Amino acid sequence: MLSWSSSDAGNPADLAAIIDGEGDGGLPLGRELVAFTDGITGYDDDALDAARARLVEAAGEHFMVDAAAIAANFEMMTRVADGTGARFPAESAAARAPLDERLGIRGFVSARP
Amino acid sequence: MTIAIRDDLVDAHRASLVHIAAPGAHFDSARRLRIAQVAIDAYLAADAGPPWARPHGDLALDVAHRVARHAGTITLEWYEQVIGDGLDPLEWVEIVGIVVAVVPPVAFARAVGVPLPSLPAVVDGSPTGREASELAPATLNWVPVAAPADQRASVVQALSALPDEWDNLWRLAGAQYMSDQQMSDPQWNRGTLTRAQMELVAGRLSLIRECFF
Repeated sequence: MLSWSSSDAGNPADLAAIIDGEGDGGLPLGRELVAFTDGITGYDDDALDAARARLVEAAGEHFMVDAAAIAANFEMMTRVADGTGARFPAESAAARAPLDERLGIRGFVSARP
Repeated sequence: MTIAIRDDLVDAHRASLVHIAAPGAHFDSARRLRIAQVAIDAYLAADAGPPWARPHGDLALDVAHRVARHAGTITLEWYEQVIGDGLDPLEWVEIVGIVVAVVPPVAFARAVGVPLPSLPAVVDGSPTGREASELAPATLNWVPVAAPADQRASVVQALSALPDEWDNLWRLAGAQYMSDQQMSDPQWNRGTLTRAQMELVAGRLSLIRECFF
């Protein structure tokens, strides 16, 4: 979805920001968003506080709130998918295969055949 | 610190907590709130133990723990084992519905740096038994879904067996992310993050949670 959305906006994303958390993904504020997301998924409250403060300083409070809401949404949707054994139909799974390869996610336990 | 949070987001999170405390299809309010508290504890704990542990010795609570903390490690074999041990498949669906009702308000509050929400008080009443009018086995999910199966995306049909859980899920999604209608426009956004920035957050989080889907 990242590649689709970014390309459509005329701003192809660098998947390294997703894969290893490095760089800005070719996006404005990408580095701050990745750090904030990493803080949300981690257990170091000081790191989260620092990442939040950097994002607010760079983009403002409303931007940070909306970023937090998106993170909360995917804390939800990942659990819906993996809690119910969700999978792609065969045809769309085949179409996704090159992106899955680039992301390095085919070895995940959640990669259901 | 006071943070301005959109009304629709506040309302969706508040409604989700109220939803948890209401009697569900198979569990009463007290049981649902216990499941939710287990999910909160599992989500927030710095060390929640290994994925294969069953720390509560209680099928429903152990499923809640694993979905909240180690969802990406759940296998079909573990699902079948738990069902074989006596949990009803629709109880499993309800547990997932409770976990995904409570994790977002807690995750959001921690993310923005405000106090974590409290769970509501127990509500009187028996389980409602409310299920989809017709259920069907799915090939795109382990769990049973509303018939006809596999006509919609697997994440969309995932909780469809229990309409109250399904409704709460998509109310949250609309406030936190976007509605189905908004999703069909690749340029739609709230005037803060661009779609590409939104998908960067979504993609990074999904990868950290090892969610292939």
